Amino acid sequence: MAGFNAGEGVGVAMYLAMPIMEIGDGTAPLPHTRGEFCVQDHLVDSEGRLATGLLASIADSIGGMTSGVACLPDWIVTTNLALRRAPDALAGPRGTGPLTLDTRILRRGRSSVVGRTDVTDQAGNPVATTWMTCAVLTPAGGPPPFSRPVRLDHREVPDDPIFRTRPEEFFALEAGERPGIAVLAVSDRLRNPWGILHGGSVAVVLDAAARSLVTGVAAPAPTPGVIVTDLVIHYLSPGRVGPVHAVAETIGTRGTEVMVRISVRDHGADDRLMALAIATVRTDLGPFATDR
Amino acid sequence: MRLLSLETEQFEDGNIRGWLPVNNTIATPTGGPRLAAVAMLVDALGGLRSISAAAPDWAFTADMSIHLLPTGPMKQLQADLYVRRRGRRTLVIEAELSADGVRPAGLAIMTFAVVPRPEHLVNITIDMTPGRRSMSTLPPDQPEAGPYFEELAVVVERPGHVVIELRPEVANTVGALHGAVHTAVIDAASVSLGQEFLGPDAETVDMHLAFLDLATKGPMRAVATSVGESIPGQDRLTLSVEVFDAEDRLCSYATTEVVA
Repeated sequence: MAGFNAGEGVGVAMYLAMPIMEIGDGTAPLPHTRGEFCVQDHLVDSEGRLATGLLASIADSIGGMTSGVACLPDWIVTTNLALRRAPDALAGPRGTGPLTLDTRILRRGRSSVVGRTDVTDQAGNPVATTWMTCAVLTPAGGPPPFSRPVRLDHREVPDDPIFRTRPEEFFALEAGERPGIAVLAVSDRLRNPWGILHGGSVAVVLDAAARSLVTGVAAPAPTPGVIVTDLVIHYLSPGRVGPVHAVAETIGTRGTEVMVRISVRDHGADDRLMALAIATVRTDLGPFATDR
Repeated sequence: MRLLSLETEQFEDGNIRGWLPVNNTIATPTGGPRLAAVAMLVDALGGLRSISAAAPDWAFTADMSIHLLPTGPMKQLQADLYVRRRGRRTLVIEAELSADGVRPAGLAIMTFAVVPRPEHLVNITIDMTPGRRSMSTLPPDQPEAGPYFEELAVVVERPGHVVIELRPEVANTVGALHGAVHTAVIDAASVSLGQEFLGPDAETVDMHLAFLDLATKGPMRAVATSVGESIPGQDRLTLSVEVFDAEDRLCSYATTEVVA
Protein backbone atom coordinates (compact mmCIF):
# COMPACT_ATOMS: atom_id res chain seq x y z
CA MET A 1 0.00 0.00 0.00
CA ALA A 2 1.42 3.38 -0.92
CA GLY A 3 3.20 5.14 1.83
CA PHE A 4 1.35 8.02 3.28
CA ASN A 5 3.42 10.63 4.94
CA ALA A 6 1.59 10.94 8.19
CA GLY A 7 4.85 10.33 9.98
CA GLU A 8 4.45 8.50 13.23
CA GLY A 9 5.12 4.82 12.89
CA VAL A 10 6.15 5.07 9.25
CA GLY A 11 9.92 4.84 9.28
CA VAL A 12 10.52 5.79 5.66
CA ALA A 13 8.29 8.86 6.01
CA MET A 14 10.19 9.92 9.12
CA TYR A 15 13.56 9.31 7.49
CA LEU A 16 12.55 11.31 4.41
CA ALA A 17 10.51 13.85 6.39
CA MET A 18 8.63 16.25 4.15
CA PRO A 19 6.03 18.79 5.29
CA ILE A 20 3.06 18.62 2.94
CA MET A 21 0.18 21.01 2.56
CA GLU A 22 -2.89 20.87 0.42
CA ILE A 23 -3.40 23.81 -1.87
CA GLY A 24 -6.86 25.36 -1.51
CA ASP A 25 -9.57 24.85 1.07
CA GLY A 26 -9.71 21.08 0.82
CA THR A 27 -12.99 20.83 -1.03
CA ALA A 28 -11.59 20.14 -4.49
CA PRO A 29 -12.48 16.60 -5.61
CA LEU A 30 -9.02 16.25 -7.14
CA PRO A 31 -6.61 17.46 -4.47
CA HIS A 32 -3.48 19.45 -5.20
CA THR A 33 -0.64 19.23 -2.69
CA ARG A 34 2.84 20.59 -2.27
CA GLY A 35 5.72 19.07 -0.32
CA GLU A 36 8.88 20.83 0.78
CA PHE A 37 11.73 18.39 1.06
CA CYS A 38 14.60 19.74 3.12
CA VAL A 39 17.72 17.92 2.02
CA GLN A 40 20.00 16.67 4.78
CA ASP A 41 23.67 15.92 4.20
CA HIS A 42 23.41 12.21 4.92
CA LEU A 43 20.77 11.79 2.20
CA VAL A 44 22.61 13.26 -0.77
CA ASP A 45 25.75 12.75 -2.83
CA SER A 46 28.79 15.01 -2.72
CA GLU A 47 27.09 17.58 -4.97
CA GLY A 48 23.96 17.64 -2.83
CA ARG A 49 21.82 15.60 -5.20
CA LEU A 50 19.30 12.95 -4.18
CA ALA A 51 19.65 9.50 -5.77
CA THR A 52 16.79 8.45 -8.02
CA GLY A 53 15.61 5.75 -5.63
CA LEU A 54 15.13 8.34 -2.89
CA LEU A 55 13.54 10.77 -5.32
CA ALA A 56 11.07 8.05 -6.30
CA SER A 57 10.47 7.35 -2.64
CA ILE A 58 9.45 10.92 -1.76
CA ALA A 59 7.38 11.13 -4.95
CA ASP A 60 5.65 7.91 -3.90
CA SER A 61 4.98 9.38 -0.46
CA ILE A 62 3.33 12.59 -1.61
CA GLY A 63 1.73 11.00 -4.68
CA GLY A 64 0.31 8.14 -2.62
CA MET A 65 -0.96 10.46 0.08
CA THR A 66 -2.62 12.80 -2.41
CA SER A 67 -4.17 9.90 -4.32
CA GLY A 68 -5.44 8.49 -1.06
CA VAL A 69 -6.98 11.82 -0.07
CA ALA A 70 -8.75 11.86 -3.43
CA CYS A 71 -10.32 8.51 -2.53
CA LEU A 72 -11.38 9.06 1.07
CA PRO A 73 -13.02 7.20 2.79
CA ASP A 74 -11.27 4.54 0.74
CA TRP A 75 -7.50 4.41 0.36
CA ILE A 76 -5.03 3.31 -2.30
CA VAL A 77 -2.12 1.05 -3.14
CA THR A 78 0.55 2.11 -5.65
CA THR A 79 0.54 -0.07 -8.72
CA ASN A 80 3.18 1.72 -10.77
CA LEU A 81 5.37 4.77 -10.76
CA ALA A 82 7.24 6.38 -13.66
CA LEU A 83 9.95 8.97 -13.13
CA ARG A 84 12.19 11.02 -15.40
CA ARG A 85 14.94 13.34 -14.25
CA ALA A 86 15.55 16.62 -16.06
CA PRO A 87 18.72 16.19 -18.12
CA ASP A 88 20.04 19.65 -17.22
CA ALA A 89 19.79 18.89 -13.49
CA LEU A 90 21.95 15.78 -13.40
CA ALA A 91 25.28 17.52 -12.75
CA GLY A 92 26.39 20.82 -11.27
CA PRO A 93 24.39 22.96 -8.87
CA ARG A 94 21.05 22.67 -10.66
CA GLY A 95 18.79 20.10 -8.99
CA THR A 96 20.62 20.16 -5.67
CA GLY A 97 19.46 21.44 -2.30
CA PRO A 98 15.88 21.69 -1.05
CA LEU A 99 13.20 20.38 -3.37
CA THR A 100 9.56 21.24 -3.93
CA LEU A 101 7.16 18.50 -4.98
CA ASP A 102 3.94 19.65 -6.59
CA THR A 103 1.33 16.91 -6.93
CA ARG A 104 -1.90 17.00 -8.90
CA ILE A 105 -4.42 14.25 -9.42
CA LEU A 106 -5.02 13.76 -13.11
CA ARG A 107 -7.77 11.21 -12.85
CA ARG A 108 -9.86 9.67 -10.10
CA GLY A 109 -11.77 6.68 -11.41
CA ARG A 110 -13.80 4.03 -9.62
CA SER A 111 -10.91 1.65 -9.31
CA SER A 112 -7.77 3.70 -9.93
CA VAL A 113 -6.19 7.11 -9.47
CA VAL A 114 -3.45 8.72 -11.54
CA GLY A 115 -1.35 11.51 -10.07
CA ARG A 116 1.48 13.63 -11.40
CA THR A 117 4.29 15.11 -9.35
CA ASP A 118 6.70 17.74 -10.62
CA VAL A 119 9.89 18.23 -8.66
CA THR A 120 11.75 21.55 -8.75
CA ASP A 121 14.76 22.95 -6.95
CA GLN A 122 14.83 26.13 -4.91
CA ALA A 123 15.36 28.27 -8.01
CA GLY A 124 12.33 26.68 -9.65
CA ASN A 125 14.34 24.57 -12.09
CA PRO A 126 12.71 21.26 -13.01
CA VAL A 127 14.49 18.34 -11.35
CA ALA A 128 12.19 15.47 -12.27
CA THR A 129 8.67 14.62 -13.23
CA THR A 130 6.76 11.54 -12.16
CA TRP A 131 3.35 10.02 -12.54
CA MET A 132 1.94 7.16 -10.62
CA THR A 133 -1.12 4.97 -10.72
CA CYS A 134 -2.80 3.68 -7.58
CA ALA A 135 -5.55 1.11 -7.17
CA VAL A 136 -8.44 2.09 -4.92
CA LEU A 137 -9.21 -0.24 -2.04
CA THR A 138 -10.95 -0.31 1.30
CA PRO A 139 -8.34 -0.94 3.97
CA ALA A 140 -9.15 -3.01 7.01
CA GLY A 141 -9.35 -0.58 9.90
CA GLY A 142 -10.20 2.33 7.65
CA PRO A 143 -8.06 4.96 5.98
CA PRO A 144 -5.41 7.08 7.72
CA PRO A 145 -6.93 9.88 9.80
CA PHE A 146 -6.75 12.86 7.45
CA SER A 147 -8.74 16.04 7.63
CA ARG A 148 -8.80 18.49 4.76
CA PRO A 149 -7.20 20.68 3.80
CA VAL A 150 -4.29 18.39 4.59
CA ARG A 151 -1.50 19.92 6.68
CA LEU A 152 1.43 17.68 7.56
CA ASP A 153 4.09 19.85 9.05
CA HIS A 154 5.83 17.52 11.47
CA ARG A 155 9.59 17.48 11.19
CA GLU A 156 10.42 15.44 14.25
CA VAL A 157 12.80 12.63 13.64
CA PRO A 158 13.09 9.82 16.21
CA ASP A 159 16.10 9.77 18.52
CA ASP A 160 17.26 6.48 17.06
CA PRO A 161 20.57 7.29 15.28
CA ILE A 162 19.58 5.02 12.39
CA PHE A 163 17.41 7.90 11.17
CA ARG A 164 20.55 9.98 10.59
CA THR A 165 22.54 7.40 8.69
CA ARG A 166 23.24 7.12 4.98
CA PRO A 167 20.46 5.54 2.87
CA GLU A 168 22.47 2.34 2.42
CA GLU A 169 22.42 1.83 6.17
CA PHE A 170 18.87 2.99 6.83
CA PHE A 171 17.49 0.76 4.10
CA ALA A 172 19.73 -2.11 5.27
CA LEU A 173 21.19 -2.67 1.82
CA GLU A 174 23.80 -5.34 1.22
CA ALA A 175 25.67 -6.67 -1.75
CA GLY A 176 24.36 -9.69 -3.56
CA GLU A 177 26.49 -12.46 -5.00
CA ARG A 178 27.58 -10.29 -7.94
CA PRO A 179 27.42 -6.67 -9.04
CA GLY A 180 23.88 -5.97 -10.14
CA ILE A 181 22.27 -7.70 -7.19
CA ALA A 182 21.25 -5.68 -4.15
CA VAL A 183 19.69 -7.14 -1.03
CA LEU A 184 17.43 -5.38 1.45
CA ALA A 185 16.67 -6.78 4.88
CA VAL A 186 13.05 -6.06 5.79
CA SER A 187 12.82 -4.35 9.16
CA ASP A 188 9.88 -2.68 10.85
CA ARG A 189 11.09 0.83 10.00
CA LEU A 190 10.83 -0.03 6.28
CA ARG A 191 7.22 -1.15 6.48
CA ASN A 192 4.19 1.01 5.84
CA PRO A 193 1.24 1.30 8.25
CA TRP A 194 -0.19 -1.93 6.88
CA GLY A 195 2.94 -3.91 7.64
CA ILE A 196 4.21 -4.36 4.12
CA LEU A 197 7.42 -3.04 2.64
CA HIS A 198 7.17 0.67 1.78
CA GLY A 199 7.17 1.30 -1.98
CA GLY A 200 10.04 3.73 -1.54
CA SER A 201 12.20 0.94 -0.14
CA VAL A 202 11.62 -1.04 -3.31
CA ALA A 203 12.70 1.97 -5.38
CA VAL A 204 15.86 2.36 -3.34
CA VAL A 205 16.98 -1.27 -3.63
CA LEU A 206 16.34 -1.52 -7.35
CA ASP A 207 18.13 1.78 -8.01
CA ALA A 208 21.15 0.39 -6.15
CA ALA A 209 21.04 -2.84 -8.17
CA ALA A 210 20.86 -0.98 -11.50
CA ARG A 211 23.81 1.29 -10.72
CA SER A 212 25.83 -1.61 -9.34
CA LEU A 213 25.30 -3.58 -12.53
CA VAL A 214 26.44 -0.76 -14.76
CA THR A 215 29.53 0.15 -12.70
CA GLY A 216 30.49 -3.43 -11.90
CA VAL A 217 30.90 -2.39 -8.27
CA ALA A 218 29.15 -4.38 -5.58
CA ALA A 219 25.98 -2.71 -4.27
CA PRO A 220 25.37 -0.52 -2.35
CA ALA A 221 28.64 1.35 -2.90
CA PRO A 222 28.30 4.97 -4.08
CA THR A 223 28.46 5.41 -7.86
CA PRO A 224 29.37 9.07 -8.32
CA GLY A 225 28.33 10.40 -11.70
CA VAL A 226 26.32 7.30 -12.56
CA ILE A 227 22.63 8.09 -12.28
CA VAL A 228 19.36 6.39 -13.06
CA THR A 229 17.75 9.02 -15.27
CA ASP A 230 14.44 7.36 -15.87
CA LEU A 231 12.63 4.60 -14.14
CA VAL A 232 9.32 2.81 -14.32
CA ILE A 233 8.35 0.49 -11.49
CA HIS A 234 5.45 -1.92 -11.56
CA TYR A 235 4.51 -3.10 -8.08
CA LEU A 236 3.19 -6.62 -8.48
CA SER A 237 2.84 -8.01 -4.96
CA PRO A 238 3.62 -6.81 -1.45
CA GLY A 239 6.93 -7.49 0.28
CA ARG A 240 6.31 -9.09 3.64
CA VAL A 241 9.16 -11.35 4.74
CA GLY A 242 12.49 -10.58 3.11
CA PRO A 243 15.29 -10.47 2.45
CA VAL A 244 14.35 -8.70 -0.74
CA HIS A 245 16.59 -9.34 -3.74
CA ALA A 246 16.80 -6.87 -6.61
CA VAL A 247 18.44 -8.43 -9.65
CA ALA A 248 19.42 -6.19 -12.55
CA GLU A 249 20.22 -7.30 -16.09
CA THR A 250 21.42 -5.29 -19.05
CA ILE A 251 19.03 -5.12 -21.99
CA GLY A 252 21.20 -2.92 -24.20
CA THR A 253 22.98 0.38 -24.56
CA ARG A 254 22.45 3.67 -26.33
CA GLY A 255 25.60 5.75 -26.31
CA THR A 256 26.36 6.44 -22.68
CA GLU A 257 22.99 5.15 -21.49
CA VAL A 258 22.38 1.59 -20.37
CA MET A 259 18.90 0.10 -20.37
CA VAL A 260 18.45 -2.16 -17.37
CA ARG A 261 15.63 -4.47 -16.31
CA ILE A 262 15.31 -5.12 -12.60
CA SER A 263 13.22 -7.81 -10.95
CA VAL A 264 12.60 -7.58 -7.22
CA ARG A 265 11.70 -10.72 -5.28
CA ASP A 266 10.75 -11.53 -1.70
CA HIS A 267 13.24 -14.30 -1.02
CA GLY A 268 11.55 -15.31 2.23
CA ALA A 269 8.16 -15.66 0.53
CA ASP A 270 9.08 -18.30 -2.02
CA ASP A 271 10.94 -15.72 -4.12
CA ARG A 272 7.66 -14.13 -5.07
CA LEU A 273 8.03 -11.44 -7.74
CA MET A 274 7.29 -8.15 -5.98
CA ALA A 275 8.18 -5.61 -8.61
CA LEU A 276 9.43 -5.26 -12.14
CA ALA A 277 11.27 -2.14 -13.27
CA ILE A 278 13.00 -0.73 -16.30
CA ALA A 279 15.65 1.92 -15.80
CA THR A 280 17.99 3.97 -17.92
CA VAL A 281 21.37 4.52 -16.31
CA ARG A 282 23.60 7.34 -17.55
CA THR A 283 27.29 6.75 -17.25
CA ASP A 284 28.91 9.93 -18.55
CA LEU A 285 28.46 12.26 -15.62
CA GLY A 286 31.45 11.58 -13.40
CA PRO A 287 34.42 9.38 -12.56
CA PHE A 288 32.69 6.25 -13.82
CA ALA A 289 32.29 7.92 -17.22
CA THR A 290 32.65 5.46 -20.05
CA ASP A 291 32.91 5.82 -23.78
CA ARG A 292 30.42 3.28 -25.02
CA MET B 1 -3.64 -1.73 -37.30
CA ARG B 2 -4.46 -2.59 -40.91
CA LEU B 3 -1.82 -0.17 -42.17
CA LEU B 4 0.96 -1.98 -40.41
CA SER B 5 0.30 -5.58 -41.53
CA LEU B 6 0.83 -7.00 -38.07
CA GLU B 7 1.09 -10.74 -37.60
CA THR B 8 0.67 -12.83 -34.51
CA GLU B 9 1.32 -16.37 -33.36
CA GLN B 10 -0.55 -17.88 -30.47
CA PHE B 11 1.07 -20.66 -28.45
CA GLU B 12 -0.45 -23.56 -26.51
CA ASP B 13 0.46 -21.97 -23.17
CA GLY B 14 -1.44 -18.80 -24.06
CA ASN B 15 1.63 -16.70 -24.71
CA ILE B 16 1.85 -14.67 -27.87
CA ARG B 17 4.47 -13.59 -30.37
CA GLY B 18 3.93 -10.93 -32.99
CA TRP B 19 5.69 -9.16 -35.81
CA LEU B 20 5.74 -5.69 -37.30
CA PRO B 21 7.20 -5.43 -40.81
CA VAL B 22 9.56 -2.46 -40.88
CA ASN B 23 9.58 -0.41 -44.07
CA ASN B 24 10.19 3.21 -44.92
CA THR B 25 6.65 4.26 -43.94
CA ILE B 26 7.42 3.62 -40.28
CA ALA B 27 11.23 3.73 -40.13
CA THR B 28 13.13 6.38 -38.19
CA PRO B 29 16.27 8.03 -39.59
CA THR B 30 18.32 5.26 -37.94
CA GLY B 31 16.33 2.48 -39.59
CA GLY B 32 14.36 1.04 -36.70
CA PRO B 33 10.58 1.36 -36.37
CA ARG B 34 9.24 4.58 -34.88
CA LEU B 35 7.84 4.31 -31.39
CA ALA B 36 4.25 4.90 -32.49
CA ALA B 37 4.31 1.82 -34.70
CA VAL B 38 5.93 -0.27 -31.97
CA ALA B 39 3.16 0.87 -29.65
CA MET B 40 0.54 -0.36 -32.11
CA LEU B 41 2.19 -3.80 -32.18
CA VAL B 42 2.52 -3.96 -28.41
CA ASP B 43 -1.00 -2.66 -27.79
CA ALA B 44 -2.58 -5.06 -30.26
CA LEU B 45 -0.71 -8.08 -28.94
CA GLY B 46 -1.26 -7.03 -25.34
CA GLY B 47 -4.97 -6.71 -25.96
CA LEU B 48 -5.02 -10.15 -27.52
CA ARG B 49 -3.03 -11.68 -24.70
CA SER B 50 -5.26 -10.05 -22.13
CA ILE B 51 -8.34 -11.85 -23.43
CA SER B 52 -7.33 -15.25 -22.13
CA ALA B 53 -5.36 -13.86 -19.19
CA ALA B 54 -8.31 -11.85 -17.89
CA ALA B 55 -11.02 -14.38 -18.73
CA PRO B 56 -13.84 -14.56 -17.81
CA ASP B 57 -13.41 -10.84 -17.17
CA TRP B 58 -12.23 -8.22 -19.65
CA ALA B 59 -9.20 -5.93 -19.59
CA PHE B 60 -8.57 -2.36 -20.73
CA THR B 61 -5.12 -0.88 -21.21
CA ALA B 62 -4.41 1.51 -18.33
CA ASP B 63 -0.82 2.40 -19.06
CA MET B 64 2.09 1.47 -21.23
CA SER B 65 5.82 2.06 -21.17
CA ILE B 66 8.05 1.43 -24.16
CA HIS B 67 11.84 1.53 -24.15
CA LEU B 68 13.67 1.19 -27.46
CA LEU B 69 17.29 0.35 -28.19
CA PRO B 70 19.22 1.43 -31.27
CA THR B 71 19.04 -1.45 -33.71
CA GLY B 72 19.68 -0.03 -37.15
CA PRO B 73 17.62 -1.29 -40.06
CA MET B 74 15.65 -4.51 -39.71
CA LYS B 75 13.10 -6.49 -41.70
CA GLN B 76 10.69 -6.90 -38.84
CA LEU B 77 10.30 -6.22 -35.18
CA GLN B 78 9.36 -9.21 -33.08
CA ALA B 79 7.55 -8.99 -29.76
CA ASP B 80 7.22 -11.84 -27.26
CA LEU B 81 4.60 -11.28 -24.59
CA TYR B 82 4.48 -12.69 -21.08
CA VAL B 83 1.96 -12.25 -18.30
CA ARG B 84 3.82 -11.05 -15.19
CA ARG B 85 0.84 -10.66 -12.90
CA ARG B 86 -2.85 -11.47 -12.98
CA GLY B 87 -4.49 -9.94 -9.95
CA ARG B 88 -8.13 -9.40 -9.18
CA ARG B 89 -8.12 -5.95 -10.68
CA THR B 90 -4.92 -5.57 -12.65
CA LEU B 91 -3.03 -7.51 -15.25
CA VAL B 92 0.61 -6.77 -16.10
CA ILE B 93 2.11 -7.94 -19.38
CA GLU B 94 5.71 -7.55 -20.51
CA ALA B 95 6.86 -7.52 -24.14
CA GLU B 96 10.41 -8.39 -25.12
CA LEU B 97 11.29 -6.71 -28.40
CA SER B 98 13.88 -7.96 -30.87
CA ALA B 99 15.05 -7.00 -34.33
CA ASP B 100 14.44 -9.90 -36.71
CA GLY B 101 14.13 -12.11 -33.65
CA VAL B 102 17.84 -12.00 -32.90
CA ARG B 103 18.97 -8.54 -31.72
CA PRO B 104 17.53 -6.93 -28.56
CA ALA B 105 15.35 -3.98 -29.54
CA GLY B 106 13.87 -3.00 -26.19
CA LEU B 107 11.14 -3.75 -23.69
CA ALA B 108 7.57 -2.73 -23.06
CA ILE B 109 5.28 -3.17 -20.07
CA MET B 110 1.54 -2.67 -20.00
CA THR B 111 -0.92 -2.55 -17.13
CA PHE B 112 -4.51 -3.51 -17.79
CA ALA B 113 -7.50 -2.78 -15.60
CA VAL B 114 -9.51 -5.97 -15.15
CA VAL B 115 -13.26 -5.36 -15.18
CA PRO B 116 -16.41 -7.45 -15.57
CA ARG B 117 -16.88 -8.20 -19.25
CA PRO B 118 -18.95 -5.38 -20.76
CA GLU B 119 -22.34 -6.34 -22.10
CA HIS B 120 -21.49 -5.57 -25.72
CA LEU B 121 -18.51 -7.92 -25.55
CA VAL B 122 -20.17 -10.90 -23.90
CA ASN B 123 -20.78 -12.74 -27.14
CA ILE B 124 -17.68 -11.64 -29.02
CA THR B 125 -15.75 -14.50 -30.63
CA ILE B 126 -12.01 -14.18 -31.12
CA ASP B 127 -9.92 -16.90 -32.67
CA MET B 128 -7.50 -17.91 -29.91
CA THR B 129 -6.42 -21.25 -31.36
CA PRO B 130 -2.67 -21.81 -31.62
CA GLY B 131 -1.05 -20.77 -34.89
CA ARG B 132 0.25 -17.83 -36.88
CA ARG B 133 -2.12 -15.40 -38.54
CA SER B 134 -2.41 -11.90 -39.90
CA MET B 135 -3.99 -9.25 -37.68
CA SER B 136 -5.59 -7.81 -40.83
CA THR B 137 -4.08 -6.16 -43.85
CA LEU B 138 -5.18 -3.58 -46.36
CA PRO B 139 -7.54 -4.94 -49.03
CA PRO B 140 -5.72 -5.65 -52.33
CA ASP B 141 -7.44 -2.78 -54.16
CA GLN B 142 -6.11 -0.19 -51.71
CA PRO B 143 -3.13 1.95 -52.71
CA GLU B 144 0.09 1.26 -50.84
CA ALA B 145 0.28 2.88 -47.44
CA GLY B 146 2.18 6.13 -47.13
CA PRO B 147 4.13 7.45 -44.15
CA TYR B 148 2.41 6.34 -40.95
CA PHE B 149 1.69 9.77 -39.51
CA GLU B 150 0.33 10.98 -42.85
CA GLU B 151 -1.96 7.98 -43.11
CA LEU B 152 -3.29 8.72 -39.62
CA ALA B 153 -3.65 12.38 -40.62
CA VAL B 154 -1.57 13.61 -37.70
CA VAL B 155 -0.94 17.31 -38.32
CA VAL B 156 1.97 19.15 -36.76
CA GLU B 157 0.77 22.70 -36.18
CA ARG B 158 4.04 23.88 -34.70
CA PRO B 159 6.89 22.23 -32.79
CA GLY B 160 5.41 20.28 -29.89
CA HIS B 161 1.82 20.81 -30.97
CA VAL B 162 -0.07 18.27 -33.09
CA VAL B 163 -3.73 17.61 -33.82
CA ILE B 164 -5.70 14.67 -35.12
CA GLU B 165 -9.34 14.46 -36.14
CA LEU B 166 -11.39 11.65 -34.67
CA ARG B 167 -12.29 9.49 -37.66
CA PRO B 168 -13.43 5.86 -37.78
CA GLU B 169 -9.97 4.86 -39.06
CA VAL B 170 -8.30 6.02 -35.82
CA ALA B 171 -11.06 5.04 -33.40
CA ASN B 172 -11.50 1.93 -31.31
CA THR B 173 -14.60 -0.22 -30.99
CA VAL B 174 -16.38 2.31 -28.76
CA GLY B 175 -15.64 5.24 -31.05
CA ALA B 176 -12.88 6.80 -28.95
CA LEU B 177 -9.36 7.53 -30.13
CA HIS B 178 -7.52 4.20 -30.33
CA GLY B 179 -4.95 3.74 -27.58
CA ALA B 180 -2.12 3.25 -30.04
CA VAL B 181 -3.13 6.43 -31.86
CA HIS B 182 -2.63 8.28 -28.58
CA THR B 183 0.96 7.08 -28.80
CA ALA B 184 1.16 8.32 -32.39
CA VAL B 185 0.20 11.88 -31.49
CA ILE B 186 2.50 11.74 -28.47
CA ASP B 187 5.35 10.49 -30.66
CA ALA B 188 4.65 13.12 -33.31
CA ALA B 189 4.52 15.96 -30.77
CA SER B 190 7.75 14.72 -29.17
CA VAL B 191 9.61 14.35 -32.46
CA SER B 192 8.48 17.76 -33.71
CA LEU B 193 9.76 19.46 -30.57
CA GLY B 194 12.88 17.31 -30.64
CA GLN B 195 13.60 18.37 -34.21
CA GLU B 196 13.40 22.00 -33.12
CA PHE B 197 16.16 21.50 -30.53
CA LEU B 198 18.13 18.48 -31.75
CA GLY B 199 17.83 18.57 -35.52
CA PRO B 200 15.99 16.63 -38.21
CA ASP B 201 17.07 13.18 -37.05
CA ALA B 202 15.27 13.39 -33.70
CA GLU B 203 13.34 10.27 -32.75
CA THR B 204 11.35 9.17 -29.70
CA VAL B 205 13.02 6.25 -27.96
CA ASP B 206 11.23 6.00 -24.64
CA MET B 207 7.70 6.65 -23.40
CA HIS B 208 5.74 6.26 -20.16
CA LEU B 209 2.04 6.71 -20.93
CA ALA B 210 -1.06 6.77 -18.72
CA PHE B 211 -4.49 6.55 -20.33
CA LEU B 212 -6.85 8.77 -18.39
CA ASP B 213 -10.13 9.08 -20.22
CA LEU B 214 -11.83 8.05 -23.44
CA ALA B 215 -11.16 10.66 -26.11
CA THR B 216 -14.52 10.79 -27.85
CA LYS B 217 -14.73 14.39 -29.04
CA GLY B 218 -12.28 15.43 -31.70
CA PRO B 219 -10.12 17.00 -32.78
CA MET B 220 -7.54 15.90 -30.21
CA ARG B 221 -4.42 17.90 -29.45
CA ALA B 222 -1.09 16.71 -28.14
CA VAL B 223 1.14 19.27 -26.48
CA ALA B 224 4.75 18.49 -25.64
CA THR B 225 6.86 20.53 -23.26
CA SER B 226 10.46 20.12 -22.22
CA VAL B 227 11.33 18.94 -18.71
CA GLY B 228 14.28 21.19 -17.97
CA GLU B 229 16.17 23.16 -20.54
CA SER B 230 17.80 21.80 -23.63
CA ILE B 231 21.56 21.71 -23.17
CA PRO B 232 23.55 22.98 -26.17
CA GLY B 233 25.46 20.10 -27.73
CA GLN B 234 23.35 17.48 -25.99
CA ASP B 235 21.69 14.81 -28.06
CA ARG B 236 18.58 14.20 -25.94
CA LEU B 237 15.48 15.89 -24.67
CA THR B 238 13.08 14.85 -21.92
CA LEU B 239 9.46 15.84 -22.49
CA SER B 240 6.05 15.66 -20.92
CA VAL B 241 3.13 15.35 -23.32
CA GLU B 242 -0.56 15.93 -22.69
CA VAL B 243 -3.36 14.82 -25.00
CA PHE B 244 -6.59 16.81 -24.83
CA ASP B 245 -9.93 16.31 -26.54
CA ALA B 246 -12.03 19.06 -28.12
CA GLU B 247 -13.45 19.98 -24.71
CA ASP B 248 -10.00 20.37 -23.18
CA ARG B 249 -10.31 17.22 -21.11
CA LEU B 250 -6.94 15.61 -20.42
CA CYS B 251 -7.28 12.15 -22.01
CA SER B 252 -3.74 10.83 -21.69
CA TYR B 253 -0.45 11.90 -20.19
CA ALA B 254 3.04 10.77 -21.08
CA THR B 255 6.67 11.51 -20.60
CA THR B 256 9.09 10.79 -23.41
CA GLU B 257 12.76 10.82 -24.27
CA VAL B 258 13.85 12.07 -27.68
CA VAL B 259 17.35 11.59 -29.05
CA ALA B 260 19.20 12.55 -32.20
